[in-house]
Amino acid sequence: MRYMYLVSAVEDGQPPPERLMEEMDKLAKQELAAGRMIAQGGLYPTAMGGARIELRRGKVKVIDGPFAESKEVLGGYAIFDFATREEAIASAIQFMELHAKYAEGWEGVCEMRAMFEDVDDGCAATEGAAKVNATA
Amino acid sequence: MRYMFLTSGAETGAIPPQRMIDEIELLTEREMAAGRMIARGGLMPTAMGSAHIESRRGKLKLTDGPFAEAKEVLGGFAIFEFATREEAIASLESFMELHRQYWPEWEGVCEMRPMFGFGASAAASEAAPG
Repeated sequence: MRYMYLVSAVEDGQPPPERLMEEMDKLAKQELAAGRMIAQGGLYPTAMGGARIELRRGKVKVIDGPFAESKEVLGGYAIFDFATREEAIASAIQFMELHAKYAEGWEGVCEMRAMFEDVDDGCAATEGAAKVNATA
Repeated sequence: MRYMFLTSGAETGAIPPQRMIDEIELLTEREMAAGRMIARGGLMPTAMGSAHIESRRGKLKLTDGPFAEAKEVLGGFAIFEFATREEAIASLESFMELHRQYWPEWEGVCEMRPMFGFGASAAASEAAPG
């Protein structure tokens, strides 16, 4: 089963601590090599080119970022393939433990979502890009 | 520049009308053939296998879905490559226009976010997205 992890936090403008970046790179390399991580990506702050387009009561409205009403916004994602949900949970906890350990004071949430797999989604094709990021 | 589109709506349990699914498939085929769409994915409802792991004040907390506090939740995403932000916005608008036209009772939001690691500079973290 494929799972998507979506990590959100308050946008405080702080770059992540170097040690956390190193540990996450290490984890990404290990998971890519093991064939469990399919793809990953990081998103720019919402002030840098972000936009939202809403559809409400038949009306479409575009709002440029940053989004004043958002407490925590998405910062990055990863897609994994796991045999069981328990494995997926354990991996998400491991990822968040890295944050607890190496990014003191950081608060946020990792949402884990099972993915539909009945479409040719191109996700595996982004693996190369993920590898480049992981080995950079 | 690479962009991620993230579409959220209320979890009503309603299945999208077949016509809208068909139109989105057409759009996907066209955009993938053109090399603009890189990847996409659909997420199962939050009642099916999802979880939140929160880090607050140094403590981790696991909550299984569905999430009572969530008004609208992520339903799917797509990753695109566009030369300009204007192109990205235009694509975002046409995607939401499909929803307006073929699923008028649906309400939701599509968030568009430039991605790290792609585009003009490899040192993307230091470059402002265009």
